[in-house]
Amino acid sequence: MIDTQQMHSLAARMAEAEVRGRSPWADARRRFRRNKAAMISLVVLILVVAFALFGNHLAAWSNEEMDFSVMGQAAQLGAPSWANGHYFGTDDLGRDLFSRTVQGTQVSLMVGLIGAGIAVIVGTLYGATAGYVGGRTDAVMMRLVDILLAIPYMFVLILLLVIFGRSMSMLFLGIGLISWLEMSRIVRGQTLSLKNREFIEAARATGVPGWKIIIRHIVPNLLGVVAVYATLLVPLMILSESFISFLGLGVQEPLTSWGALISEGAGTMNYGTLWQLAFPLFFFCITLFAFFFVGDGLRDALDPKDR
Amino acid sequence: MFGYILRRLAVAIPTLLLLIVVSFLLMHAAPGGPFTQERALPPQVLANLNAKYGLDDPLWLQIVHYVWGIVAHFDFGPSFVYPDRSVNQIIAAGFPVTLTYGALSFAAAVIFGVSLGVTAAIRQNSWIDYLAVGTSIGAQVLPNFVMAPILVLIFTLWLGWLPGGGWGGPIYWIMPVIALSTSFMASIARITRSSMLEVLGSNHIRTARAKGLPERKVILRHALKPAMLPVISYLGPAFVTMITGSVVVDMYFSTGGIGRSFVDSALNRDYAVMMGITILVGALTILFSLVVDVLYAWVDPKIRY
Repeated sequence: MIDTQQMHSLAARMAEAEVRGRSPWADARRRFRRNKAAMISLVVLILVVAFALFGNHLAAWSNEEMDFSVMGQAAQLGAPSWANGHYFGTDDLGRDLFSRTVQGTQVSLMVGLIGAGIAVIVGTLYGATAGYVGGRTDAVMMRLVDILLAIPYMFVLILLLVIFGRSMSMLFLGIGLISWLEMSRIVRGQTLSLKNREFIEAARATGVPGWKIIIRHIVPNLLGVVAVYATLLVPLMILSESFISFLGLGVQEPLTSWGALISEGAGTMNYGTLWQLAFPLFFFCITLFAFFFVGDGLRDALDPKDR
Repeated sequence: MFGYILRRLAVAIPTLLLLIVVSFLLMHAAPGGPFTQERALPPQVLANLNAKYGLDDPLWLQIVHYVWGIVAHFDFGPSFVYPDRSVNQIIAAGFPVTLTYGALSFAAAVIFGVSLGVTAAIRQNSWIDYLAVGTSIGAQVLPNFVMAPILVLIFTLWLGWLPGGGWGGPIYWIMPVIALSTSFMASIARITRSSMLEVLGSNHIRTARAKGLPERKVILRHALKPAMLPVISYLGPAFVTMITGSVVVDMYFSTGGIGRSFVDSALNRDYAVMMGITILVGALTILFSLVVDVLYAWVDPKIRY
């Protein structure tokens, strides 16, 4: 869970740091580098991304091939082994778990990044507009966010997936649809504190149109909060997708994701094929861990309060 | 305060109506009707069925009927897949189960989370603090659908202590409650710890200590209440996530709550049941966030409402 309290504190700090002479970014970089957990997590993330991008070149089997010598006897013959090229073992259909994990990693990371990306774009623009325009527009826009936040989105998302058919694009759309709400609130809050500052006033006085002020002058100043929030949002998006895939409503075969693999592994662990659960779970956990640590490290670097 | 509650209700009711109308329209937009079967029905039978369920009325009239049925009679209509069961019966069968382990999980998460957080804050940088911080970070990456299989693996398959699923006496409650509450407990502990640390550093606590109050009294009387504010504001989103998590618990432990009915109806395309549950959950969410806001306003004397 993202702690809203801390996000607001961060927003306040980013707004006030501008005033001082030294760039908060240079400070932040130094503090981030000193944060061991965050740096290690960053390395882990890079490794996971490399695994997703280049893992296929290491795999001895493609993710669509079935190893007929193992098929149906996964518990006896499908265990991880170097000899037959199934580094992570196989599932009951004889599919290579290594290449399936690579594929699952690709899908899950993509969902996370796209979900967070939609949140960044929509949430920032929406929040900045509401905050900058203010007045009745602001009230209506934020009321709408309140209303949408009150809707049990996971249920609505499943409803959407069932009605319009399960597809990747629907999944992205559905996850992206809800992810921007909290972001827009935080961005609006910071925009409110930015919009009465001198440089905005100067821009307005020289006749810069409102939309240009938002894009050129407000949004760049929101970057710190948005970056931290987006980093913390990626794991949440991955969690949402995994949740839906775990229920069997997410990505469809032959595509797979961490959630789908974990679900399969959890379903078959009674038969002694523990590796089916262990490997996807391992990647899932270290990635989420790493994202949370990097996000926290980024926040602490930008908002150094003793917590 | 009363006016505040009224004003909040004025937002809550349109929200709920919007949810009902949107889900109705979504259902209407779905390809195929409720009586689309593999073997097509004779046109006359289909027409009769449509007439019986009012499906040949204009759309707005159907919406009005549906909303009126819910508002006036609390009636979500018949199930489309099981003609002998109404949505109400399906919900009534599962809801008590969900409520039981949901309430237990919520209570467990709040009680243990707050105690852990407060203890960690009082003994900052002691082993208990590190333990609390460590577990709370660990639990964040162990959502319920990861916890559930791990718990079954340990307690059912390896140790054989607990039944792996089903619903009966309290022994069946243990794993669902642990699976559902752990990550919330961790989040609550984390939030409590950081806000408690902030409160403990504030002036009124120094005053309380300076006038010689025993430490226990300082914590319980003066620090706990203001430190609870962020926790209370977290309870709203936590409730939503928890009710979503109950779907996993129902699926994995076969507890038979409404989450199970929801996923089954999603897979069977039983739109009436899906909508009924979505609306019920939406209503609960809205009601709960209202309660949380009122609680917040009551605890925080600075708030203006």
